Amino acid sequence: MGIPEIEDAKCLLCFGYNGADSHPIVARRIVRGRQKGMKIICADPRVTETARISDIHLQLKGGSNLALVNAMANVIWKEGLADEKFIQEHTKGFDEFLKVIENYTPEYAAEISQVPAETIRQAARMYATNKPAMILYGMGVCQFSQAVDVVKGLANLALMTGNFGGPSMGIGPVRGQNNVQGACDMGALPNSYPGYQSVTDPASREKFEKAWGVPLPDKVGCPITHVPYRILQEKEERKRIHAYYIFGEDPAQSDPDLAEVREALDKCDFVIMQDIYMNKTGLHADVILPATAWGENEGVYTCADRGFQRVRKVVEPEGDLKPDWQIIAEISTAMGYPMNYKNTEEIWNELIDLCPSFTGATYEKIEKYGSVQWPCRDKSMEDKGTPYLHKDGIFATKDHKALFYGTDWHPPLEMENEEYPMSLSTVREVGHYSVRTMTGNCRTLRNLEDEPGWVQISPQDCQKLKIQKGELVKVLSKRGYCISRCLPTERVKPGAVYMTYQWWIGSCNELTIAHLDPISNTPEYKYCACRVEKIQDQEWAERHVKEMYNDIRTQMGIQPGKGARS
Amino acid sequence: MALKQVQTTCPYCGAGCQIMFTVDADANKIVEAVPADGRTNEGTLCLKGHYGWDYLNDPQILTKRLRKPMIRKGGKKSPLVEVSWDEAISYVAEKLTEIKGKYGPDSIMGTGSARGAGNEANYLMQKFMRACIGTNNVDHCARI
Amino acid sequence: MNYFVKGNPDLCIGCRTCMIGCVVVHEGKHIFEIDPDSYTFHPKLHMVKTARLSVPVQCKHCENPACMAACGVNAIYQEDHRVLIHTETCIGCKACMDACPFGAIDMVTVAGVRQKDGSEKKVANKCDLCQGVAGGPACVRVCPTQALTLVTEEELEDLAKRKRMESARSTFCEVYHCDEFSYGGRE
Repeated sequence: MGIPEIEDAKCLLCFGYNGADSHPIVARRIVRGRQKGMKIICADPRVTETARISDIHLQLKGGSNLALVNAMANVIWKEGLADEKFIQEHTKGFDEFLKVIENYTPEYAAEISQVPAETIRQAARMYATNKPAMILYGMGVCQFSQAVDVVKGLANLALMTGNFGGPSMGIGPVRGQNNVQGACDMGALPNSYPGYQSVTDPASREKFEKAWGVPLPDKVGCPITHVPYRILQEKEERKRIHAYYIFGEDPAQSDPDLAEVREALDKCDFVIMQDIYMNKTGLHADVILPATAWGENEGVYTCADRGFQRVRKVVEPEGDLKPDWQIIAEISTAMGYPMNYKNTEEIWNELIDLCPSFTGATYEKIEKYGSVQWPCRDKSMEDKGTPYLHKDGIFATKDHKALFYGTDWHPPLEMENEEYPMSLSTVREVGHYSVRTMTGNCRTLRNLEDEPGWVQISPQDCQKLKIQKGELVKVLSKRGYCISRCLPTERVKPGAVYMTYQWWIGSCNELTIAHLDPISNTPEYKYCACRVEKIQDQEWAERHVKEMYNDIRTQMGIQPGKGARS
Repeated sequence: MALKQVQTTCPYCGAGCQIMFTVDADANKIVEAVPADGRTNEGTLCLKGHYGWDYLNDPQILTKRLRKPMIRKGGKKSPLVEVSWDEAISYVAEKLTEIKGKYGPDSIMGTGSARGAGNEANYLMQKFMRACIGTNNVDHCARI
Repeated sequence: MNYFVKGNPDLCIGCRTCMIGCVVVHEGKHIFEIDPDSYTFHPKLHMVKTARLSVPVQCKHCENPACMAACGVNAIYQEDHRVLIHTETCIGCKACMDACPFGAIDMVTVAGVRQKDGSEKKVANKCDLCQGVAGGPACVRVCPTQALTLVTEEELEDLAKRKRMESARSTFCEVYHCDEFSYGGRE
């Protein structure tokens, strides 16, 4: 599905996705859809902007996603709202799936999710009876240790109602970062070459071996979230990681359980950081390679709906900088594997010929049409790409049938307890991006929100803790603590707090847990146990935060007297 | 003042909005950013799209822009020292070759980047890890 | 009649692009070139969020402004379909802020202006409908969801007309067996 199609759906199930904060321009489509009469069901523990304008808000307890999704499937089946023709013609595994969802009555799911059974029924009916219905999901699904199961659960809903293969239907993950889709497309993944060709498939491997002229490894590589373990705890000598080449990422800010990350970076023999700004990872790097930034180089990004689009040089880089691709090529050449490219288009031409789904997306075509959604297989200008996948219910499996997967719900790993009685979920700040090295250095975005950020907490909890709006508070978990500002809001439920993850002082990843989904290896950022504490001496706290900010700026290379706040 | 216009894709979030920049080419400065008519954004931008290009001016609010390659010559915790590109590249190549020789290719991990770098750089990174180093140890922050 | 900018909570996503747009247009684009601490960030509209509402709130440019009546130094005046504050005249007495029924006025420091005792000068601050700015109010232009509109006299009358039509139709349509009232008529 494409982003423009969202507004033409009859019904939208928005699950764990807060477009207003993560993608305002996607949220715009939701708002426009609403104006056109689209029904909205929003599943989110907070009153998000989408929840606010929804027909039904499923304000579930964090960590209960799959129970709710399975219960919706249960209602759709029991009430005869499923598209049996579609199930029969285009899918497999429905009977096994039924056995799993059998137990998920709305009453049972209500106990787990705190959403009334009748509301679950209404939501299931609304979704099943307004076609085309679209599902959008975000990190509120993915950042749990039970993530892939929920994605499959949502796909089950779309399959059993025949909501696949046409415009304004299906299920869409809305990718967070600008080019997270592109990094996946390009095979920056331990299990696949560019174009989602598996490293364990001999035919694919042979193709890339031939193109690159060397034998290639056949074992799946190490996922990024296993790196701390593989540095600190791996027993097998040849599997232990001794060198870490970090390119355009800041694990010392963005990864869970930062204390462990810092220890891993310090114990790793050789850490290379290639980036545009000094950052927290840089404090642990042995070598720093300065690259040109967005706005200073050329290339292609893939947006969330598989659209290839050009990025162009806006200004000339200042300083002794090189584009990322050139740095990598020079290291490779120095190591005896020559890479000679004159520009990004040469690299692009090499890779599209190796990926059947991208072959047709030439620079010329992207220039001409502005945006080309893959699959685009043919170089002729007539092949303009593919707005939505699985056309006419034909799926990308061997027999073209989709498979139902039913799994049981399980709770998050670290539940609230006596010492840490509240749950913490990390969320996004609309005006800041990722680890904030870019937006934190944009004047007006900094004016709108700055350190140490906010902890969103219910007015009831504030009353109990005797804390007020704007007060500095301490937030603690088993793994660490940080200081943040109290933001009482009726948009969150008592017992749960929310923090945005880009602050360096109010750094919530000091608290988060490195507990991973077994398939996607994504950490459970959306759930860990925490405690909020009042700080009696507010004057001290304000001074302390100011000092911390100054320390950070000094560590980041800003000399006293230079730049802001001096 | 020689003004030119450049259209590009926004570097924030996956919506893929198109922005039209007016640039003073002589001063090498952005004069204005306005929404362009892209497939997904249709002439609209959010606050990051409108005002998120300012970091290119290096205002040194949170961190400082990197301008020169640097090496910790005295090992971990020693200060970073500015070096030439030639020195930085050969240092990295030597160290990686040494580690690969000593512990094997799977002792090296590389990341792609889901942010500014673009598809071509990601393609080269995984090609480097797979073809030059000889490992599938490459991943990026899609999962984090 | 004075104009005003109206926010629509059905469209607003609470992103606050409008607030930055307001500052950039009033401070000038040179803020992207200068020391980040040498300008002030005082939007003339504010995002209000409650449990189930998000909407920017700003001056309604009243026809009989309470702020103007309350001002003791005649710093508030009406001109060109809007209510304006003459900041050089303003003595910061806060009477306007107190008088405004909508909370549309706040007190802000003026960057770089010191008073005799060395303290920063503070004046009343509110929406001026981007007086003198080509293209009209910046908040309206930058909003990604078109949640803000400039309401002019014509639009306001049109709105009232449509509402009168709707009222007449809902009251009499069934009795007179007509589906549509047409514009024009005796209106």
